[in-house]
Amino acid sequence: MRIEMKKFGEMLISRPAGREAFLAMSAYLTKDLPEDEMIEIDFAGVKVLTPSFADEIITKIAEKFKNVKLLNTENITVQSTLKALREYSDLRI
Amino acid sequence: MEKLGYDWIKSEAGRVDISSGYYCQTRDVFQARLEKMQNDLLADGRIKEDQVYIVSAIAGEIGNNSFDHNLGNWPDAPGVFFAYGFSDGKLKIVLADRGQGILKTLKSVKPELTDDARALDTAFNEKISGRAPENRGNGLKFVKANIKSAGLRLIFISGKAEAGLDEKMEIREAKEKLNGCLAILTV
Repeated sequence: MRIEMKKFGEMLISRPAGREAFLAMSAYLTKDLPEDEMIEIDFAGVKVLTPSFADEIITKIAEKFKNVKLLNTENITVQSTLKALREYSDLRI
Repeated sequence: MEKLGYDWIKSEAGRVDISSGYYCQTRDVFQARLEKMQNDLLADGRIKEDQVYIVSAIAGEIGNNSFDHNLGNWPDAPGVFFAYGFSDGKLKIVLADRGQGILKTLKSVKPELTDDARALDTAFNEKISGRAPENRGNGLKFVKANIKSAGLRLIFISGKAEAGLDEKMEIREAKEKLNGCLAILTV
């Protein structure tokens, strides 16, 4: 399963928006998937990502699924946010 | 613009200018104006694209922090003041809120905090959540890291303390006490 983050917006900033994205994703995209399903999170097209938004969705996906890959993470705010999550939210991908 | 921010945060309760175009009463209004700023800066071209995205992320974290930590607890006017513009070739972004301030927010999870300076130091340096048991409240560490890596400057005032951040961080006494938070980002 590939999750295209740009479908939630190009500017992914607030915590409530991240929580809403996770709930929508859980209802329509990842519902009933086994925990060992390969989940690819694709950041292509995302212009701004912050730790507040990402903590509500990326951290939770990583907690729920065992095989998670991050794709197209070149954007500077994506890089910086993932670094912050690894440091402060115990993200391990 | 900085003076407008000061004036807004220092207005007497009940006399806050909520008709100002810089006032974002809700998070949705703030997000829309943040997107407008990003589009304006990309169209303007004076700041590199990567830098525009970093600046948007920093302003987004600071502005959203105001809503996250004051929801249901605003002392008077809810929301944030958000203004930006070029002055002497530098981009200035001013964000302010009339919320509880950093000390009161962090005191609920770290009761031993007794002054604004220590509260600011904690907010920018320690892994902590101002809304424990939720895992949140680490946005200012992200802000600090990006101020340093992108060569920016930030003044952040809350209560009687002022943090100055560039390559390093210094906390000093503010010239005057401000309830809530005031941030001035220079690019």
